[in-house]
Amino acid sequence: MTGIQRGGTAMDDLAPPAAGMNGALLSVRNLQTHFFSREGVVKAVDGVSFDIKPGEILGIAGESGCGKSVTSQSILRILPKNGKIVGGEILFQNEDRTVDLATEDADGRVLRDIRGKEIAMIFQEPMTAFSPVHSIGDQIIETIRIHQEVSKEEAHDQAVEMLRRVGMPNPARNIDEYTFNLSGGMRQRAMVALSLSCRPKLLIADEPTTAVDVTIQAQMLELLRDIQADLGMAIIMITHDLGVIAELTDRVMIMYLGKEVEHGTVEDVFHRPQHPYTRGLLASIPKMEPGRVEIEPIEGVVPNPYAMPTGCKFHTRCPDFIAGVCEKHDPPLTQVAKGHEVSCFLYGGRERLE
Amino acid sequence: MTITTRETDMNERTIISVRNLVKHFPIETGFLRRQVGVVKAVDNVNFDLNEGETLALVGESGCGKTTTSHCIIQAQRPTAGRVLFRIGDAEPMDLTQMEKGELKEARRNIRMIYQDPYSSLNPRMTLLQIIGEPLVIHRMVKNQDDLQERVAELLRLVRLDPSTMNRYPHAFSGGQRQRIAIARALSLSPKVVIADEAVSALDVSVQAQILNLLKELQNQLGLTYLFVAHNLAVVKYEADRVAVMYAGKIVEIGETEALYSNPRHPYTEALISAAPNPDPDTKHRERIVLSGEVADPGNLPGGCAFHPRCRYAEDRCRQEMPELIDVGGNEIQSHQAACHFAESLELTGIAGPTLREEGGSA
Repeated sequence: MTGIQRGGTAMDDLAPPAAGMNGALLSVRNLQTHFFSREGVVKAVDGVSFDIKPGEILGIAGESGCGKSVTSQSILRILPKNGKIVGGEILFQNEDRTVDLATEDADGRVLRDIRGKEIAMIFQEPMTAFSPVHSIGDQIIETIRIHQEVSKEEAHDQAVEMLRRVGMPNPARNIDEYTFNLSGGMRQRAMVALSLSCRPKLLIADEPTTAVDVTIQAQMLELLRDIQADLGMAIIMITHDLGVIAELTDRVMIMYLGKEVEHGTVEDVFHRPQHPYTRGLLASIPKMEPGRVEIEPIEGVVPNPYAMPTGCKFHTRCPDFIAGVCEKHDPPLTQVAKGHEVSCFLYGGRERLE
Repeated sequence: MTITTRETDMNERTIISVRNLVKHFPIETGFLRRQVGVVKAVDNVNFDLNEGETLALVGESGCGKTTTSHCIIQAQRPTAGRVLFRIGDAEPMDLTQMEKGELKEARRNIRMIYQDPYSSLNPRMTLLQIIGEPLVIHRMVKNQDDLQERVAELLRLVRLDPSTMNRYPHAFSGGQRQRIAIARALSLSPKVVIADEAVSALDVSVQAQILNLLKELQNQLGLTYLFVAHNLAVVKYEADRVAVMYAGKIVEIGETEALYSNPRHPYTEALISAAPNPDPDTKHRERIVLSGEVADPGNLPGGCAFHPRCRYAEDRCRQEMPELIDVGGNEIQSHQAACHFAESLELTGIAGPTLREEGGSA
């Protein structure tokens, strides 16, 4: 495996955490996050591995139930009560130390120091990120002072500066406003300012443009691009919208039912999609191109999470289904080009089955 | 109430004519509910819906597209204006003037599909009850056997297994639920279906199934669609004509391909430019990013409501409200835009900058 850094094979699991980060800021290896309920176990994330380097923008894309949001919640250890990381590693390069976020105490010192300071998150609905009874300034100042030893005045100045950076029209006044006084677009900007107030090394953006109008979405994407160029943090962009992925990210991982199906640069994945699911997804999106461009839906429905298909999770809907193989075995990740990997028996792995 | 065709300017292909439609909501305050202002949700909207076509109403939240559709089926009574509806060769009826009882026939012929199939279907009713309810209310079936037969037929029409008719909506996925909602909407064999963001809540692979199903049903049953949506790529795929709304008004209306490749209103241009395309090659193109947000319909700026966000705005735009004027097209498909400079601006559509031919014969 040259050219890319990734873990996730059985041998890597035995290696000590610090080894093999290869300059990655975050290295998720064979992550398994399951949900336990009365009806059974849902394997929301079932063996996902990826790396992100400092300053890189990675997209994680897939439809509802693919596990993209659970992956991000696992990284920050903010899973709902019935969700548990049951396997794998989440290695984070914190200063000169490598921390395995998967095994740290979710409420412990290490994670509380990392959350908000080293790794920050923005959400779909900005109202959930803020308390409605405190001004946005007070909340940003609080965040800054939890993580940095600065005076109130200094924190205030930093907060104003951050609000200015995210394009608030009048930062000195906006800092005393409450979220309910702000319009949707301004709330989004305030949330970005809050999340970036401690200059995190990694920003996780979970569907930040899904609930907003297209002109506000364009503003938001421009803001993320500018601020990434400005502050140089890495971004994990989680979205179902492949247009947003194409617009913003360098690399993309496509997920289906808790599994990684394809991974590569956006150019590779969008221009040379290999996995039948990726091809199906791209073919089902109406295009903004002149003339009549037909769309082809993926047949069938996403399986019930309590009754997951055996073998390749996509085999029930796959147009290239190989009987006797796909429903029996898990397809391994196969490299089809440098830095472009697919988990599908069409591209190899069958010879290893016997 | 009927109106002779001569009184209206409906042509023979028109099934619904919306004329000077206005819907204002009062802004009230205090204990005495004193009216202090008015939200102009829909402000003088005019369009024709022609038989067998798909007309899309597109725009951002608060532009009035949903209120317009509600005013058509009289779910909300318009403040002013007329909604003329005609079935076959009959005289057109003005729905705005009709009493609730009189509306029954019109409502049998104009049906709605909503965005969220999780809240639009009653979880305590079986598919048979959900789809069969309109048939019972409108006395379209003779007995229980007849009802079951008709519901089975409708389920097959939307590609669901008729043997599932005694199950409840929770057993179905989002896409399947939207099929159930479509079956219910089609149960009375309507002429017109209003789809209000009908695919917005669905995943893309399922969204494509529903978009294609709607098209097949249109061809099969000769339906006319009013397609209310915010996603420009979806609208491009589904609609024959598009009306772009901004702050309660139609700012541009025309044939889909012409409007997308040759937009004549700066707002349409910006919407097209902002729509993300799943192609990394377009990543580095120059995008028009509008500053600010959609105008508040309760406090509209003077002149053209779009002028504070328009990069071409001049003094005239701040003072004078532009009217919808013809900017091309032909006798059958007109292309209109409400911009003072629609004739002179060189706007960019999906194909990149285009050379406009005189008279719009392109």
